[in-house]
Amino acid sequence: MNTPIEASPQGITALRLHRQLASIWATGPGWQRLAAVNHSVIGLRFMATAFVFFAIGGVLGMLTRVQLATPGAAFMDSETYNQIFTMHGSILLFLFAIPMVEGIAVYLTPKILGARDFAFPRLTAYGYWCYLSGGTILTGSLIAGVAPNSGWFMYTPLSSNVYTPGINADVWLLGVTFVEISALTLAVEIVVSILKMRAPGMSLDRMPIFGWYMLVTALMMVVAFPPLILASILLETERAFGLPFFDPTRGGDPLLWQHLFWLFGHPDVYIIFLPMAGLLSTMIPVLAHRTLIGYRAIVVAIIALAFVSFGIWVHHMFTVGIPYLALAFFSAATAIVAVPTAVQVFAWLATLAHGRPCWNAPMLYIFGFFFTFVIGGLTGVMLSVVPFDWQAHDTYFVVAHFHYVVGGAVAFPLLAAFYYWLPLLTGRTAVYQLSIPAFWLVFIGFNLTFFLMHLTGLLGMPRRVYTYTGHEGWIWLNLLSSVGGFIMTIGFGLVVIDLLAQLRYGRRVRRDPWQAATLEWAMPIPPAPYAFASIPAIDTRADRIAPGEIAPSLARGEGYLGCARNGWQETLGVHMTSGAPDQLIVLSRPTYLPLCTALATAAAVLAMLFHLYLLALAAALVVAGLFVLAGQSAGLSRDYGPMLVGHGVSVPPHTEVASSPPWWALIFALVANATLFTCLVFGTLYLWIAAPNWPPTETFAPNLSLAVVAVVALAAAAAAARLSLRALAAGGMTRGWIGLAMLGLLVAIAADAGLIGGVAPRPIEHALGATAAALLAYVALHAGIGLLFLISNLLRLGAGLISPRRSLDLRLTRLWLDYTVMTGAIALGLVLLLPALVAVLGARP
Amino acid sequence: VSTRPIPPGQLCWLAAGFAVWCSALVVLYAVHAIGCAFAWSAGPLRLALALVLLAHLAVIGWMWRSLNGASPGLDFGQTGVFLRTMFVWTVVAAFVTIILTLGPPLLLTVCM
Repeated sequence: MNTPIEASPQGITALRLHRQLASIWATGPGWQRLAAVNHSVIGLRFMATAFVFFAIGGVLGMLTRVQLATPGAAFMDSETYNQIFTMHGSILLFLFAIPMVEGIAVYLTPKILGARDFAFPRLTAYGYWCYLSGGTILTGSLIAGVAPNSGWFMYTPLSSNVYTPGINADVWLLGVTFVEISALTLAVEIVVSILKMRAPGMSLDRMPIFGWYMLVTALMMVVAFPPLILASILLETERAFGLPFFDPTRGGDPLLWQHLFWLFGHPDVYIIFLPMAGLLSTMIPVLAHRTLIGYRAIVVAIIALAFVSFGIWVHHMFTVGIPYLALAFFSAATAIVAVPTAVQVFAWLATLAHGRPCWNAPMLYIFGFFFTFVIGGLTGVMLSVVPFDWQAHDTYFVVAHFHYVVGGAVAFPLLAAFYYWLPLLTGRTAVYQLSIPAFWLVFIGFNLTFFLMHLTGLLGMPRRVYTYTGHEGWIWLNLLSSVGGFIMTIGFGLVVIDLLAQLRYGRRVRRDPWQAATLEWAMPIPPAPYAFASIPAIDTRADRIAPGEIAPSLARGEGYLGCARNGWQETLGVHMTSGAPDQLIVLSRPTYLPLCTALATAAAVLAMLFHLYLLALAAALVVAGLFVLAGQSAGLSRDYGPMLVGHGVSVPPHTEVASSPPWWALIFALVANATLFTCLVFGTLYLWIAAPNWPPTETFAPNLSLAVVAVVALAAAAAAARLSLRALAAGGMTRGWIGLAMLGLLVAIAADAGLIGGVAPRPIEHALGATAAALLAYVALHAGIGLLFLISNLLRLGAGLISPRRSLDLRLTRLWLDYTVMTGAIALGLVLLLPALVAVLGARP
Repeated sequence: VSTRPIPPGQLCWLAAGFAVWCSALVVLYAVHAIGCAFAWSAGPLRLALALVLLAHLAVIGWMWRSLNGASPGLDFGQTGVFLRTMFVWTVVAAFVTIILTLGPPLLLTVCM
């Protein structure tokens, strides 16, 4: 792979095009870097920041190993240990693993799929700044000595304000929610970008397997994060305002937290694993010099894995007292989830077996992955067996298992990918062979640390203990685990040194050093900000192309969009299934808005953390205002009609088509929203059927008239929104209908507020009142957001950004209000039904 | 590029089979919880659970029949063939998953 760099550029045409495109797409110097929205810049920032948090989380892990190396160690006290191990887990999962996945997705996905950028560059940047802010708040709490201390899963009632007073738990709830919202926005963006922004001709059957992995992963994120976001909001309202969702003395139930948390927590394992599997499925065929075996089987397997991974959340709760029959559902599903995982492992092994693999640095780390991940998978099958789980639950056996699964599934593929794609990122390759000793140190250290934990666990050592007496027979195992941890850390240190050496002294290489077969190598390395000077046309499976052959013609502008026009950042939108070009997408330029919006969001989070609720409300309003402001600079100010995009093809701009990226983004955002709403309904019904101290002493009688007024007003607003769209097409009173829709929403909010005020028992007295208030607040919040949509519509109408052909804004508003009516009717209906449900409880034995 | 693009809505078939599995799991879990909370006797509760399972299997069966008419095929070129294969195999995998994960547990003691 160490061939010399090209002696000359592709020619004068290529050079001129490069200069023109670079002037449009480049991020400015100095402070302007803070305005960056380019996917390569943001992706690298995500990955670099995630590595920093990995280092912090790793150091915290080392501190726990120092404490546990010997019995009765006085290295730290129990409170400090609680903070350290909680932050170790929280940082590595929420601030390293998930953001690293996102960083890889942001950086690589557009390049592998043949697009110039992601669909919503400002949202990508906002997601990054939110992540950085949330991570800083969490890490800062550690320095201030008020870090979360209830474990990374924050089980109630330990994390309630009775047992965890102070702001420790609040830091976790607010900080992690902040980061999760950032992850959710990126997930929506990844889904839309993969479905709508591939190279022309890249139909779904031609999409590289990496695209399928990222698509499924992002869809999982869309559905998996809302339960945790809801749980965090409910627990924070319990801690801040006393609403007893999880307090069994007032009709709450701590197990509701566990259900909601693990509805996120278990799929999260696969959300972390699947992108790594996507990287492996991309690297292994290249390193084995053979196409991937079982492409179709893998696609079916990852779809199966995505669904089944959601249906096994209860295996984290085998010991909480659920009847055997119900446990058996989840036990069987947990065992069967190994099947689609095994399909992928066998496909990789078959590809290697039928190819000619070479033992280079990435392959070595891939071997490390196979070894550790298979062990982790097998112990997972052991833990799926309920009687075994009862014995091993909350012991170090489980710690060993999930470190093998998460550590093995992330660390080794990540390091393999790191060595594989580093030439793409830097344009250089390693000079020194530090990667080899680094691998062996990491591999030996990893297995020494975590394999022995299986034995420690089987000998009965419980998780989360900060010390032990030394009479239990755990001394040598713990000491060796700690030694292994330090060996592993030295290995990671060598990787960092290797990286720095490569950046400084690495040999420059020409593109496609691995003789790969995917599009990210069909560009200059390191990539220009516009990625492709012109976008390739695909007529075969896009992981079987020859990047080196097509790159020169792309550089000369012989693909699609091989020119600079109007100073626009242009890329192509395609039909979801066929990959036929159907729109010209004009992307946003660099702006400070994402940074400002993220800072305002951080201010709201910090104000809530310190119980300054008026300030938090003000900051939240600023965030809403900034989002509306961002809308004023989106889109095009006049109709253009179809425009040439190359190869004789003309397509309209995205502002003039029905299936533009924002339309699909709102649909997937509503899927996430509906998941959260479903979890809220589930929580209400769960407390009704399972929580102690039901029924409450006070009778609940919601005001039927107000509920009817609220639903009718919401329906009227939705109808007015539809009529505004018709009026726009007919040249009628668009603003009048928008005003009417606003009036309807205001009436609905007022009626809803009246209902909340009349909730009995009061929300702080019993979970019945708290859940009713939460359902009603959900409706009011959505009506309020609907108002923001309508305000934005009015402003954009005034600015000439909306026309009969550019009606996307009004269609988005219509969709939002339709959703609000539907969920509003369900929520209000459930609130009206609650008295009857409470009465039914009298029939319980 | 296929001349006749497959409507994006057809992609829902990729999720359809396992959505039925999810539905079966959630409904069975909910019915079981309600039955145990209200102390239904074992026979009716087990019958209710079996009916829920059979209803979901019937949906899978209906999907299997519908795949012939509703899913894309050769008319849509290679993309149609590919997606049709994916639809069929996800439904088959979901059927097997329902049988293996949700069937045998119904033989256990219901509320212990």
